[in-house]
Amino acid sequence: MTMFPLSVHNSTQSLYVPLDCEIVAVSDLTPNEKLFRLRLPEGGALGHSPGQFVQVSLLGWGEAPISVSSSPTRDGYFELGVRRAGSVTSAMHQLVVGDTIGIRGPYGRPFALDKLRGRDLLLISGGCGLAPMRSLIQYCEDRTEEFGRLTILYGAKSVEDTLFKDDLTAWEASSRFACSRTVDRITGGGSCYSGNVGLITALIPPLEIDCTITVAVIVGPPVMYRFVIEELKKKGLTSAQIVVSLERHMRCGVGKCGHCTIEHLYCCQDGPVFWLNEVEHLRGAL
Amino acid sequence: MKRTLTVCPYCGTGCSFYLVSDGGRLVGVEPSTTHPVSRGGLCVKGWNAFAFVHHSDRLTTPLIRRNGTLTPASWDEAIGLVVDRLRSIQQRHGYDSVMFSSSAKATNEENYLLMKLARAVFATNNIDHCARLCHSSTVFGLAETFGSGAMTNSISCFDQTDLILVIGSNTTEQHPLIGTRILNAAQRGAKLIVADNRRIRLARHADLHLRHKNGSDVALINGMMHVIITEGLMDRLFIEQRTENYAALAANVADWTPERAAALTGLEADEIVAAARMFAAAGRAMIVYSMGITQHSHGVDNVRCCAALSLLTGNLGRPGTGVNPLRGQNNVQGGCDMGALPDVYSGYQKVADPLQRQKFARAWGVSTLPERAGLPLTHAMDAAASGLLRGMFIMGENPLLSDPDQAHARHALENLELLVVQDIFLSETAAMADVVLPAACYAEKEGTFTNTERRIQRVRKALDPPGEALADWEIICALAERAGYGGMRYSGPSQVMDEIASLTPIYGGIAYDRLDRHGLQWPCPGKSHSGTPILHMESFTRGLGRFSPASYRPPAEAVDDEYPFVLTTGRTYFHWHTGTMTRRTHLLDREERTAFVEIHPDDAGRLDVRDRDELLVASRRGEIRVAARLTAMVVPGVVFIPFHFAEGAANALTNNVLDPESAIPEFKVCAVRIRRVV
Amino acid sequence: MKVLYPEHIPAFFTALASRFELRLPVMLSDGTRTIGSLEDGPIALMGGAVPGKPTAAFFPQQGPVFTAVEGAVLPSSDQANRLFVAGFTGRDIDCLRFIDRFFADGWRDDIYFRQRAGAVIAGVSGYCGPGGALLPLIGGGCDLEFVCDGKCWLVLTYSQAGEGIAAELPDTDAEEVLHQIRIESLTAANEGDELIQRASQLLRANRVPDSFWSEIGDRCISCTGCNLACPTCTCFGVQDWRYANNIERSRMWDSCQLDGFMREASGHNPLGSEALRTRRRIHHKLAADPERWGEISCFLCGRCDVVCPTGIGILAVAMEMVDRFEQETIR
Repeated sequence: MTMFPLSVHNSTQSLYVPLDCEIVAVSDLTPNEKLFRLRLPEGGALGHSPGQFVQVSLLGWGEAPISVSSSPTRDGYFELGVRRAGSVTSAMHQLVVGDTIGIRGPYGRPFALDKLRGRDLLLISGGCGLAPMRSLIQYCEDRTEEFGRLTILYGAKSVEDTLFKDDLTAWEASSRFACSRTVDRITGGGSCYSGNVGLITALIPPLEIDCTITVAVIVGPPVMYRFVIEELKKKGLTSAQIVVSLERHMRCGVGKCGHCTIEHLYCCQDGPVFWLNEVEHLRGAL
Repeated sequence: MKRTLTVCPYCGTGCSFYLVSDGGRLVGVEPSTTHPVSRGGLCVKGWNAFAFVHHSDRLTTPLIRRNGTLTPASWDEAIGLVVDRLRSIQQRHGYDSVMFSSSAKATNEENYLLMKLARAVFATNNIDHCARLCHSSTVFGLAETFGSGAMTNSISCFDQTDLILVIGSNTTEQHPLIGTRILNAAQRGAKLIVADNRRIRLARHADLHLRHKNGSDVALINGMMHVIITEGLMDRLFIEQRTENYAALAANVADWTPERAAALTGLEADEIVAAARMFAAAGRAMIVYSMGITQHSHGVDNVRCCAALSLLTGNLGRPGTGVNPLRGQNNVQGGCDMGALPDVYSGYQKVADPLQRQKFARAWGVSTLPERAGLPLTHAMDAAASGLLRGMFIMGENPLLSDPDQAHARHALENLELLVVQDIFLSETAAMADVVLPAACYAEKEGTFTNTERRIQRVRKALDPPGEALADWEIICALAERAGYGGMRYSGPSQVMDEIASLTPIYGGIAYDRLDRHGLQWPCPGKSHSGTPILHMESFTRGLGRFSPASYRPPAEAVDDEYPFVLTTGRTYFHWHTGTMTRRTHLLDREERTAFVEIHPDDAGRLDVRDRDELLVASRRGEIRVAARLTAMVVPGVVFIPFHFAEGAANALTNNVLDPESAIPEFKVCAVRIRRVV
Repeated sequence: MKVLYPEHIPAFFTALASRFELRLPVMLSDGTRTIGSLEDGPIALMGGAVPGKPTAAFFPQQGPVFTAVEGAVLPSSDQANRLFVAGFTGRDIDCLRFIDRFFADGWRDDIYFRQRAGAVIAGVSGYCGPGGALLPLIGGGCDLEFVCDGKCWLVLTYSQAGEGIAAELPDTDAEEVLHQIRIESLTAANEGDELIQRASQLLRANRVPDSFWSEIGDRCISCTGCNLACPTCTCFGVQDWRYANNIERSRMWDSCQLDGFMREASGHNPLGSEALRTRRRIHHKLAADPERWGEISCFLCGRCDVVCPTGIGILAVAMEMVDRFEQETIR
């Protein structure tokens, strides 16, 4: 594409000038989602923590906030799972290996790894919430000794809409994870699927949870939170033991543009990761 | 930084602001705080009116179609080609085989010049503009009843009135700053009656919200007049002193009992009675209407009824009263005033009148002018489709999206031997043209616009047009020159206005140096005249106000088993007409990105449709795909689609049936069917 | 103390224009006042707060983020000349202080500070409000202050830059007049401040029902004027312009009164109703900002109340809120 070969020579000039990254691999996750593997100049590290996002910049199209899908424990690259939704992400889906995109970041408050270490983790994601969650799952995978029991729950609309199928298969097979997944409904392409069908909330009641050492992490579409939280509370977890990552349309990523506020909080600065007790009382948070 | 005082290019309200530019680039707007209409405020379109100007899609060079592709050309070649081919068509098929479509977005001077070009240079009265599609029924109906087709009162009258009847106008969205006056009037205690079956914002503030059936306005107003007469609530003195033909009206509405009107309107008889009593009881009552009244196959009858209701209650010629059609485009009033119409010169002076022809011929330095009225735009499309019309020159309009029955319009335009489009962007219509002429936008030229309350206001140049683009008036003058006509050499628009004033009694007192601050309201017959805020004060323009009885005719197309929904069309707050400017304005585009259909949740439930589902909407003329928007704005059985979106063009569905007197199409009612796209 | 006589005003500012990019209150052709340049019209220091936000000098309605030409991204350039911006009232100075803090906090917004850094700020006060009404003395937070004593302008300086600018002006001894203005400024009843505090308390105590916001929202036509006129509104949108030879990224004032402001690509919209958006407009200034920044971010400049065509600016709404919901509790 002729639109994007422009490169940035000096990203220190301005907060708002992006840095060039090269696309080193692209793969289809679903018909609407692609995974981009990106390399910074000279293979430098992005310096992110799981839960953070970058502002992807396509000159001529604009910017969109995208969560990092890979763990910083994996060197030399980072990955972005991108759903085709607006004009920036649609343009991004046209790109191929060797093209460059701009990024700014990483931004936002990551998962508080220091508070998660030593805990049993319940990693619950829905839809494209698995994209940011995967960063944390990979981290746990690579630093497995730092954590207690690791449980992954994932719900997608359908088999076709399921993200990171290979990863899910690997996590299901791994002895380190207890991984369950479900789909809301079976549609045309899912005829050979033999797993759970139904909402993700149905996966929670059968779990054995030690409330004294468990932290639940939820990332998913807005409709998911309330119901999942309800189930977790029935299990005895408190708001201080639940972590949520909230989706907002950050335009700047640096707390200036105002598009991601939740009452007095700026989702791009104070979040996107929050402890539930920080936001559950705030209007419009969940 | 430079600040240039100008007038908003969107609706007919005529708000005023300063364009702020920095180094030849517009960077914002600042409202005028002293302007009598906008009073320091603007609507969202006004606040963003600078933002499309520098869009990279702007046309910057003439384009000529070569081997099927529009390719850049010089002005000299393009102007030469347009003139030669228009002449050639006329030689083979007669003068009236070409049509000029003027523009309600262009200035008064440009409309006047195109009118002059058509008549004096190309010897045809085939000139019209989009007023045909919006208020031709007003111009006809109010000329017949009052003698003048314009809004009778001023925008300031909303602050003085006791009651406002809003019928067929979504004022807060389409004339937002006038809408705010109505909101404020309701807030201070004036009565508000909203007659519109969409639950528009004003309806939330209304004392009475009449959700009558689409196209049943004549029944509603005849019913109201029946009640007023039966209960003796009319203004007898006014009727006696200021009107004629009352007996005919009284006879006509005698059998329009509220019960009969209720049956046709779908209202309760009580609602009609209440509305009639409330209207008649008000000391000063205003009627406000717009496309909901005019765009019907019985549009003129609707207007007659509005006029009669005001005459009956003596609500004319005083502050806070009147029949107030809100003109849509920024300069649609001016387009009409300038005679960009097939039957009149500027100032509504009839081409059929030999004295007028003589006056204009002498002033323009030509021996004769054509006497037979030209084609209305809506008939021109039929003539093009049938091959009677061979060439069309379109200035700043996009009929492919704005005309009814898109397939018909497309066929008509394709059938032309020559299509010339002069515009600021390559509109859907321009993309079909043989020659495209790049024009300056409102921010890049001088001129005047006339707003809905007849206020003639200065438009000023803030920056140069992009590339080789020229102001419409410059292009028209170049065409005239190339055609060998020497009577269109002007130092600038100010000199054009002087010529207009010399030939147009209602603009007789207009000159640029008199318009500097806030313009003047016509009629303004002399240089010392201070303008006319309220028409028909002492007497009507035609002498006595005339009651014109109207009998009820239903809309041309009724719903049936095959097409069970009524489709009504219109606009949204954030977009303007075919979206050429607003869809290129970042914030406005963000607000409404795609075509949608408003459908009542009950109907949606029956069709198993959820919000944002893609729907196929089809009429007997065509079908489109649009996103469902579930809302109780509309009543069950009626759906609404805005016509802005080329990719879901409402006018692919609308019915090209015309009012017999004004030739306005019935945009507001047709029958459609709907299904979910699986 | 320095003094500027009315007859010397044009010459004084014209001289400054050689050293600074000058922005000051001027009268435009139709009588509208604005903060513009000397070419825009005659200087108009009298008349109180200008209708547009004076902070637009540093954060314009639309301005460049960067330009990309032939493979290189060029950020917006620094202001060639330092800005001199006059016409801030005391309340405007409070607004400026607030957004200076906002743009500096955390990630420093370099685009704002490219204009703001080194800019000289001049306030106006004294008997120069509408009809000669008193604008309270500012007393700092700016480089210099022009205090109208009814006839001429006393010039108070608060920085080296301010002193430098005033240095050439004649001296005067007007301590008494100034004292008088100071006293009047202190005693000038300020119902507005108290009202806004009370409204803030109501909001923070969650005593304003949603029905109230629907009702106010019904009167809002989403013109966005309130946000665009507000000196402490800082929200912006970003747009890319694709030209043949370059790409420009610019940012423009955005408004939380628009449905698309927070709408996400999925269709989810945390501010998806008029009532929520109307609440946000007021709540953000009176409850959220106090929570985050420790102060109410409406400094009662009055601009939204003036620009709003339907009379639901923040003061009007605060008044209605206090009227209805304080009494409700008393009852």
